[in-house]
Amino acid sequence: MKLKHSLFSRRQFLNGLIGGWVGAIMAALVYPIVRFIFPSYKEPDEVILLYADYKDILPNSSKIFPWGSKPGILKKNDDGSLMAFVGVCTHLDCNVEYQPEKRKFFCACHDGWYDEFGTNISGPPPKPLRRLFISIEGEDLIIKKEGVE
Amino acid sequence: MSWLDERFGLSSVTQFLKNKLIPMHKHTIWSYTGSAILLFFVIQVLTGFILIFYYRPILEEANASVARIMTEVPLGWILRSVHSWSATFMIALLFVHLLSIWINKAYRRPRELTWMTGVMLFICSLLFGFTGYLLPWDDLSFSATKVGTDIPRAIPIVGEWVTKLLRGGEDVTGDTLTRFFGIHVCILPIFLLVLLAVHVYLIQKLGMSIPLESEKSKKKLKEIPFWPNFVYREAVLWLILFGVCLTVAIFFPPSLEKAADLMAPAPEGIKPEWYFLFLFQTLKIFPARLLFISGETAAVLLIFLGIVLFFFLPVIDNKPEERKGKIVRASAYLFILYALILTVWSLL
Ligand code: HEM
Ligand code: FES
Repeated sequence: MKLKHSLFSRRQFLNGLIGGWVGAIMAALVYPIVRFIFPSYKEPDEVILLYADYKDILPNSSKIFPWGSKPGILKKNDDGSLMAFVGVCTHLDCNVEYQPEKRKFFCACHDGWYDEFGTNISGPPPKPLRRLFISIEGEDLIIKKEGVE
Repeated sequence: MSWLDERFGLSSVTQFLKNKLIPMHKHTIWSYTGSAILLFFVIQVLTGFILIFYYRPILEEANASVARIMTEVPLGWILRSVHSWSATFMIALLFVHLLSIWINKAYRRPRELTWMTGVMLFICSLLFGFTGYLLPWDDLSFSATKVGTDIPRAIPIVGEWVTKLLRGGEDVTGDTLTRFFGIHVCILPIFLLVLLAVHVYLIQKLGMSIPLESEKSKKKLKEIPFWPNFVYREAVLWLILFGVCLTVAIFFPPSLEKAADLMAPAPEGIKPEWYFLFLFQTLKIFPARLLFISGETAAVLLIFLGIVLFFFLPVIDNKPEERKGKIVRASAYLFILYALILTVWSLL
């Protein structure tokens, strides 16, 4: 039915009303759903470890610590200084391993290699391992992301 | 029967199936693949349902619960083994199914949508395999999933989000496991069943296609009724395939490595399931940089383009008898050759 001066029929009006209503509800639902399925977890800015647990690493060897849900690798150089890396390969995210006999980091997934300072030297890895920064304060070993004060 | 028929009107369905005719020609054997895929899907659903009774989709317990299925639960090892092997059979048959349709051009007008739903069913099944592979949560499947879910990152703009969506965070963690479980046992089955309903409806509605040659020569083909003649023939094949699947499942049960440890280095010899090997190798042979984008991005975009072309094949192949049609057919053979070579290469 259409009134004389009306632009649309009663059916069109009701269809538009229902359509708009369903559309609005959908739109209101999309946002929380998207928020829900994309968690906002971020990797930590810093982790604090007990220095005593890591003091005994021998030169040219390494120990793993938890960097959020990734492994971090703490490695002692020959001169006794410590270095820390995020222990995941820059190629496709596999966990890497320090091999003291070869003095290299190794990624088994596609045969990627990094030298003892984390620089990519062979295989697919496109970048060096990510470095983390170490400071020792009292009993704490503090490991920080680049650029975090 | 007549009591039910009065209420459901089933006789129109059975009458339809009796009247439905299957044309007999030299490509008819390929029509057996469809129902065989269905057979293995049904096996997946049944074995999957039973596995859920013991499987635990959380980080601390997943691996141990699969170990328990393998060692303690009565006949649990056979169930898991059949679930794992039947997945392989289902996907192998899907490859044959789609390739035979591609080569015989059975997707010709008006069957474009049947093909497109078929491709979506195929992708669904690959996702079933990908998510299922992580569930035993051993160090091989964990590292393979790290790699697999990191690949979308190479797609410009949306890639980062796809990876996060799949992983439920930055990294593969217990959340990923739980998420994959939900996708594997709830979301994908619903999707697949809906697609399957449309696919099967279209097949019934449009009838079986006739090969190009016979369509041209207008020669009348011999036909047999779908029910019971064709179904009996299919049933023979189901029995054989089921027997073969059960036999390999008994003699070659899937292994279970030690539980994944988020902090442990990746083990050697990680590889995806066999049906992803050619894609895996494709990624591997791309150079690190190609002009101004990374090799990975190029490879991922190329694979994506391939999938889109594959999906729209019936639209692209709109003049099946001309030169273009020949090229489309030749590309099917090229694809087979490419996939075989890269698969073998990845195993060397
Ligand atoms: C409703 C349907 C399904 C349910 C409820 C289901 C359930 C499960 C469960 C609980 C597991 C973990 C137990 C285990 O790892 O052995 C699993 C694993 C798996 N599923 Fe499914 N599944 C279903 C369909 C499928 C389909 C259609 C496919 C493939 C085309 C598939 C492929 C796999 C694979 C490859 C595994 C890993 C097998 C292994 O190594 O143990 N599933 N599924
Ligand atoms: S993930 Fe390390 S080499 Fe590919």
